[in-house]
Amino acid sequence: MSGTGTATGKPQDGVIVYDPRLCTGCRYCELACSVWHTGRIEIGKSRLRILFSESGPDRFAAVNCQHCDDPLCAAVCPSETIRKDAATGWVLLHAATCIGCEMCVLACPLAVPYFDQALKVAAKCDFCYGDPECVKHCSSGALRIVPKSEALTMNEAQYLSAKE
Amino acid sequence: MGAFDPRIFRLDASGCNGCDVELVEMTALVPLAKLGVSLVDQPADANVLVVTGGANFKSRPELEAAYKALQAPKIVVAVGSCAATMGIFKGGYAMAGPPDAALSVNLYIQGCPPGPQAIFRALAHAFELPTAGLEHLLEVPAAHRGHPQVDQAKCIGCAACVNVCPAQAITLEDRTGEREIRFTHQDCIFCATCQDVCPSQAISLDTQVAPWFGAKDASQSISRQPLAQCLACGGAYAPSEQVRWSVKKIAETIAMDANVQAQFERSIALCPACRRSSLSEARHAKAILTWVTREASRRPANGGVESKRSGR
Repeated sequence: MSGTGTATGKPQDGVIVYDPRLCTGCRYCELACSVWHTGRIEIGKSRLRILFSESGPDRFAAVNCQHCDDPLCAAVCPSETIRKDAATGWVLLHAATCIGCEMCVLACPLAVPYFDQALKVAAKCDFCYGDPECVKHCSSGALRIVPKSEALTMNEAQYLSAKE
Repeated sequence: MGAFDPRIFRLDASGCNGCDVELVEMTALVPLAKLGVSLVDQPADANVLVVTGGANFKSRPELEAAYKALQAPKIVVAVGSCAATMGIFKGGYAMAGPPDAALSVNLYIQGCPPGPQAIFRALAHAFELPTAGLEHLLEVPAAHRGHPQVDQAKCIGCAACVNVCPAQAITLEDRTGEREIRFTHQDCIFCATCQDVCPSQAISLDTQVAPWFGAKDASQSISRQPLAQCLACGGAYAPSEQVRWSVKKIAETIAMDANVQAQFERSIALCPACRRSSLSEARHAKAILTWVTREASRRPANGGVESKRSGR
C-alpha cells in the first residue's frame, strides 16, 4: 500500500477508511499496530480492532479511530491531553499529561481509546505520525488512506444512507 | 510525665531525609532547651529515641543497637510514614522494617513528612511540655499544603486522583454497584496532584498541620459513587455521575440533532468492552461519528472545535 500516506501527497488531507467488503479478517493490521506501538506482538494493545461474525449481513467491522473533525474524546478530556492537531488533522493523545480519568474511553461511541492498566493512562491511534502500519500491512486494500472529502462521501454512503 | 526530662537521640534509619529536615526545622523553631528537652549525640546518653525512615537491612542493626543502649524508660518516637509503615519504600528490595518490627514504638507522628509544627505538637502532647506563650510558633505557614478534602457533591468518581497519586495514598474499590474511593492519611505526600487533576474540582487540600494520631494503617472512605450498568451485558462499567458529566461536557462543545443525541446517549449506556466487540455497535458508532464529522465539515473553516474549547 501507499507508503507516502495520501492520494494528494499532503498528509493533512489523508484519512484512514475501512471497507468491510474487502477485508479478509487476517488481522495483520492489529499485529502491525501492536508491534509499532509496543515493540511486541500484543494484539490486546492494538489501537484498532477487526470484528467478524460467521453469519448475518455484516461479516466484518473495524473499530478504528476516525480522527473526527469534532472529536468527542477531545471534547470530554479534562486535561486537554487529547487534541486535534491543526496541521495534520490527527487526533493525538499525549500520554505525559493524561490523568487517567478514562473519560475518553467512555465518550467515544466506538470506544477507540483504551485504558492501559499498567501505565495508568489512555492510549489511542496516532496515525503512526504519518505512515500508518495498519494500512501499510493491509494486503487486501480494506484499510486505505484517502483524501478527507472522499472519506466522508464513502462513510456517508456506508453508515448514513440507510437511515436518511 | 511531668518530671520527665526528655533527652533525645535521633536516628535516621534509611529514610529520604525529608523528616530529618523537618526535625531540624522544628529544633530551630522551638526553644527546646527552655522546655526542658535536650538533644544528645550518643544513644547511651538518651532516654528517648526519635527514629525516621523505614529501616533497611543496613540500618536495622544500628536501630537495634541504639535501642539497646538507650536509658530507661526507652521511649521510641517514630517520625514520618516510613517509620510507621515504610511509606514510599514499602516493597523495596532492601527494606527490613518498619522499625516496630524490631522494637516497640511508643508514639507515631505520621505524615510524609509531618511538618515541624505537627512534630512539636505531638512531642508537647506526649511529654506534657509547657507550651503556654508558644502558640504563635504553631501557626499555619502561608501556602501550607495539608491533606485532600473531597466534596462528595462534586465528585464524579472517575478515579483520576487514584491513577495520578504517586504515593498510592488514594485507592479504589469497585464493589457490586458501587465504587468506593479511600484515602490513607499517612501515605499522603501533600503533592496536591489530586487537586490539580480533578476534572470536577471536587478536591481541595486543607491547611491543617495537626499531627495524625490514627492507627498507622487506617484508611478512610472519601467518596462513594453508584456504578452504571451496561445496557447489553449488565456489567458495572463507570460511575453514573461520570457518565452524566461526560454527556454534559460533550453537549457544551458538540451540537447534535435530537436523533443523533439519542443514539449517542444509547452508546454511552453501553460499556466500552461491549462497544468495541459488537459489529452492529461499531456500525452505529461510525454512523454517529460520520454525522459529527459531516456537520463539522459544513461549518466555515476555523470555526471548529479549537475555538470552542474552554480552558480549565
